[in-house]
Amino acid sequence: MAHKRIAKIITSLLASALVLGMMQTSTLPFGPLSLSVCEAATEINGHTFAAESSGYRLYVDESDLSLVVEDKNTGAYMESSISYDDGKNNASWLGAMKSAVVLTMINGNDDTQQADLINDDVKKDIKYTDKGFTAELYWNKYRFGMTLEVEITDDGVKARIPDESIHEDGDSYFIGTIALYPYMGNSYLDSKDGYILVPDGNGALIYLNDKEGRFKSGFSGMIYGSDVGFDESDVTTLLKDRYNTISDSEKVIAPVFGIAHTDDEIAYLAIVEDGEARASIECIPNGVSVDYNRAYAKFTLRKTYTQPTSNNSTAGSLHIYESERSHSDLGVRYIFLSGEDADYSGMARCYRDYLITNGLLKASDTSYKTRVDFLGTERESWVLGTTPVVMTTVDDINEIYEELRSENVTEILSVYKGWQKGGLYDLPISSYSVESKIGGKAKLTKLINEAKENGIDLYLYNNALLINPDEKNATFNVVKKINKRRFELTTYMDVYKTLLYIIPSRSEALLNRFIKSYTQKGVNNLALAGITGTLFSYNYSGSNYTRYDTQASYASTVSKVAESTELIMEQPFAYLWSEAGAFLDMPLYTSAYIFEDESIPFLSMVLKGNMPVYAEYVNFEANKQEFFLKMVESGSFPSFYITKESSSELIYTNSSDIYSSEFSSYRSTIAQYDEKLGELNNLLAGATIEKHEILESGVVKVTYSNGVRVYINYGSEEQTADGLTIGSMSYEVGR
Amino acid sequence: MKNRFIRIIKSAILPIVLAGSVLTGSYLQAFADAPYKTYTVDGYGSVTETQTAYLPYKTITKIGEETLLTPTDFTLVNDEFIYILDSGNARVVVSDMEGEPVMTFGEGILVAPKGIYVTKDRTTYVADRDAKAIFVFDKEGNLTNTYTKPTEAMYGDTLDFLPLKIVANKSGTMYVVCESNTNGIVQISPVEGGTFLGYFGTNATKANIWTIIWRAILTDAQRAKMQSNIPATPDNMAIDDKGVIYTITRGEKNDTLKRLNIAGVNMIETTDYPDIPAAVAAGNHDNVFVATQTGFIYEYNNEGDLLFMFGGSDDGKQRIGLSTKVEAIQIGLDDKIYVLDSEKAQIQIYEPTEFTAYLHNALYLFSKGRYEESKEPLGKVLEMNNLFTYANMAMGKALYKEGDYEGALLYARIAKDTDGYSDAFWEIRNVWLKKNLTWIAILIIVIVVLTILVKFLQKKKNILDKPKTFLKKIGEVKIVKQLCYSFYFIRHPIDGSYGIKREGKVSVLSANIILLIGTVFYIINKYFCGFLTKTVREGNFDVLSDIGMILIALIAVVSCNYLMCTINDGEGKFKDIYCSLIYCFTPYLILTPILFILSHIVSNNEIFFVQFGSICMWVWIAVLIFISIQEINNYTVGETIKIILLTVFTILIVALLIFIIYVLWSQVFDFLQSIFGEVVYRIGS
Repeated sequence: MAHKRIAKIITSLLASALVLGMMQTSTLPFGPLSLSVCEAATEINGHTFAAESSGYRLYVDESDLSLVVEDKNTGAYMESSISYDDGKNNASWLGAMKSAVVLTMINGNDDTQQADLINDDVKKDIKYTDKGFTAELYWNKYRFGMTLEVEITDDGVKARIPDESIHEDGDSYFIGTIALYPYMGNSYLDSKDGYILVPDGNGALIYLNDKEGRFKSGFSGMIYGSDVGFDESDVTTLLKDRYNTISDSEKVIAPVFGIAHTDDEIAYLAIVEDGEARASIECIPNGVSVDYNRAYAKFTLRKTYTQPTSNNSTAGSLHIYESERSHSDLGVRYIFLSGEDADYSGMARCYRDYLITNGLLKASDTSYKTRVDFLGTERESWVLGTTPVVMTTVDDINEIYEELRSENVTEILSVYKGWQKGGLYDLPISSYSVESKIGGKAKLTKLINEAKENGIDLYLYNNALLINPDEKNATFNVVKKINKRRFELTTYMDVYKTLLYIIPSRSEALLNRFIKSYTQKGVNNLALAGITGTLFSYNYSGSNYTRYDTQASYASTVSKVAESTELIMEQPFAYLWSEAGAFLDMPLYTSAYIFEDESIPFLSMVLKGNMPVYAEYVNFEANKQEFFLKMVESGSFPSFYITKESSSELIYTNSSDIYSSEFSSYRSTIAQYDEKLGELNNLLAGATIEKHEILESGVVKVTYSNGVRVYINYGSEEQTADGLTIGSMSYEVGR
Repeated sequence: MKNRFIRIIKSAILPIVLAGSVLTGSYLQAFADAPYKTYTVDGYGSVTETQTAYLPYKTITKIGEETLLTPTDFTLVNDEFIYILDSGNARVVVSDMEGEPVMTFGEGILVAPKGIYVTKDRTTYVADRDAKAIFVFDKEGNLTNTYTKPTEAMYGDTLDFLPLKIVANKSGTMYVVCESNTNGIVQISPVEGGTFLGYFGTNATKANIWTIIWRAILTDAQRAKMQSNIPATPDNMAIDDKGVIYTITRGEKNDTLKRLNIAGVNMIETTDYPDIPAAVAAGNHDNVFVATQTGFIYEYNNEGDLLFMFGGSDDGKQRIGLSTKVEAIQIGLDDKIYVLDSEKAQIQIYEPTEFTAYLHNALYLFSKGRYEESKEPLGKVLEMNNLFTYANMAMGKALYKEGDYEGALLYARIAKDTDGYSDAFWEIRNVWLKKNLTWIAILIIVIVVLTILVKFLQKKKNILDKPKTFLKKIGEVKIVKQLCYSFYFIRHPIDGSYGIKREGKVSVLSANIILLIGTVFYIINKYFCGFLTKTVREGNFDVLSDIGMILIALIAVVSCNYLMCTINDGEGKFKDIYCSLIYCFTPYLILTPILFILSHIVSNNEIFFVQFGSICMWVWIAVLIFISIQEINNYTVGETIKIILLTVFTILIVALLIFIIYVLWSQVFDFLQSIFGEVVYRIGS
């Protein structure tokens, strides 16, 4: 164990050193920690002892309610306010850096004004309990208040603001956002070694080195994706004044973030437990406005928006704010990790345990399968209306399965897209009516049943979010933005130019209708998309609905659907994981922000061994072998989007972005991937990822719970690790 | 088994891709998906998305410990050194390819340097605007030569010498872009301390029809006051190994990018030009790269066909690979792209993906005429993207060279390559004709024999009597008679117009039927004619607006013509004008089917027949319209011309009126709507 630990320390040190280029002698503003005796101190940096649990002690500063959490075993601690002031910060920044809650207020058109516990006249009524304290806070000037509850648990700290405690009595100041403990675990420049865990894509790290002021902003991501109910104003330079070349950034799929101080061997994983649907995660490295590294959750209660008063956008508009705030408890749970666990692998393990204990993740069959999806029919324009473009029929699928079997590919999961009458974009699907051009209902039902006998799971794809106004009546039940304008999704394609969203209750009704007619036929495999990976605020028949409403509605819809179907989901958000039989389209990369130093497969580390995770389609990857190694690293299964006909047939359809999918060109690739990844994942059979580390040589080492170790070398030169030689751009398995 | 797989993967990837993924220096490379999309153009020139062509690979933000200050230019030398012109600090910084410092020079000599060029033997040329000179440094950074304003009279006495960008060819001849010198690129030979050789690659002035008209009308004095029409100076340039010069000029449309041979003649033309080009660089496969100031990078093949557009502007998004203000672009020997950003003071490096590596390989082989070999990488490219225009076009050509005309036709059609399609089609038709010549001959003989036989039988037994009487009977039906009158009308328009006007030979119904048939023919011909004569995008249908256009045009012409005729003593009634106009289009009904069929069997070589037929048809129709207006209204030729001009004028006026009314009403409507909207929200809140 000891050598492992040393190796780990060296590894993490070297990893940081690599980034730093040359590790300079630490310019610690405060001396290195020398607390080896772990008795309770009465005070740490102006914070007095308040409560303790089996693992941690809690200290609090009554003036700003900031915390220090101390590890009883090691004496290492993390603090929620800055203990070293570099003298460059104004009062407003100092307020934000020290206060337990930092608010932005809406006052007229201004939504940027800050309220905190230091600069404002706040009445605090603090009551200590045996586990922590509750503090009733009231801003006398702005006339609003709330109750902050802080509780120490066996593994960390929980901070909460109950919804009913938030009250606004004035009529000129309203709460816009609330940030809870925004400087929890902060550090000054490179005074600590470690990193911030960023929930971007699969996961990313920002190292706690000196960024030399290179970045203007840090990571800010709305949990569960951005909100289409509000128009985001965004300046973008367009290609040829028309094309937005910047891809959308990845969605925050799970409401987590974390900070690790690897030199102190202390880290926390923060889980936004309450109010996450309307919160954003901010991970900000030093040099962005101030020289402190910080990460926190910021809850939105009210937002301003532009209300156009005419259809002509230039004619006039009002800038107004939501009259009613959104209602939800707000809470963040900080789970502290120490010793060997104080790294991102520890965070992943800890989040996995949290999910399992709380019933948010159930163990599914995680045996290896290659995902081969099919596209049934699409439509292209014709003289009047549209005409079907048949890509893959039921018979074709049978044939493809047959051919794959001859290539020894037998473990297959398939999602059939565009099976419904009217083709892929004839949405929404309200009954089990199958396009006759692909063979019809009886044939498809037979195919699903026969495939099952052969061990192949064929799921029907249903995007329960979209409606196509060109094919279906979309006058009612479609999502309007908070400014009461219809939300339109522009496709930039020729056949169907816009798609709309259906309101959640309608999605549920249509899904139920579909499932009823589907399960009647004795089949129940469903791949659900759209509602699994989208949340929004909307306006419907005069009332506003928040993302909390949408989330609750989708959660109940999905759990009802899961009762009667075998359900797999496309990019499901964390709150739906307990119902998901498989995770489709897991991002393997990040959004590639310049301030991110490392991309790590955090979500894969959480899910591997409990839920089968399928990567995005191999088809559209330009660097196939790097993508292959990424799948090896994250333990993901490969996905292919296959058509029988050449994808050039799709040129005049809305799927003209599918530029490569013909089975004949993918046959051997599928077989190769299946062979290699099948072999690897059979070794891993149900094991979870215990450790993920980047060795000095750049080789990535992934250790599984059953002892299997996978080494991946992305470099151009052969490397050795633990006595194994790993060729360039390849991987090795150690046992 | 694993080794085999690795070998498969390895062999599939060109070494180019692997060459640079080492962890280096102060940078830990995070493998990341590109945050920008990559676009290409389809056969019609429309922008479509494709695979990521280049991934952000590395960023050089510092040279050792030194940061740069608004660098404006740089050059790569043999993939060993980067010579960066650190303009803000008025010096040249040399680093290795990883950003480790090698040397700096030029301090104290340079004033406001703008451009740098370094030869393969590491002779450095620096264009310094404020020093009004070109400085030449040797390998060690010692100043060896200075060139100032040419003394030759040909240069122009009044012209200042403000060098901005510079390149030099193997013999040491310098090409200099100078500020506010519109004569072109200044060409200076190193002999005798700098000899001015002349101007090179001058852009042409643009004169549109209006300027020509104005110039003809205005006096000299007035002309002098006009905005002077001077050619644009190139903004930047590059030179490749063969000494070919590439220039970019802002706002020159299709001439934005030029590839100039030794005589200064442009050898490239591209329709997909960038708007704000900042720099140009020659690639290793006869390809050209252009970077825009906003951070978009365009890659072209040697013909100027656009291959990729990617990158983007960092508007505070802070994603890897986006730029703020691009000043220069260079291509490494391993096909990596180096982009210098003056505002970020960094060099962003992009590496090609597998897809691009295959494409480059194909490009190279194809441009060398090795079509057979180019098929393999082209196949790989197409496997990864079935719709990639260049690959489809090249594949079509490669197959054509091989004699696989069916395949060539298919690929050419996807690429919308009309020439390739036409060639392949000609060959296919040729083969078909050869194969079926006997059958065609037999068919003709059979038809001839049958005709003779029928004629013979008619003589003997009158077998045609029954059908003839039947046809006659149908001909007696009023509406058929009216329709058949069109055949008479087009041959005898004067008499025909009289028939319409005085004898009631036609009815509104018969005219409507002709209109209907004409519309149907128009739509069929527009959307289903042969590929080579097609004027609309394949797969696009907009029938309703076609019908709408026909009806609007008809109503406008007929009513305006009627209005004009009534106030100009015309005799025609509305019905007569309508019917005669429709009947004038009879040639369209007769000839369009023939042209339609022809369009399916001609290649580009014979497309003339279709075009000529079409011209004949429209001339015929125009003549008919002229005569019918004249005859219906009983005008003279002069009056007819006048009425036609008046009709056109009236149509314009009416269109203008409708437009004005529409705009005014929409304003009023918007205004009312915004008042209503605001009232609703004020009351609501």
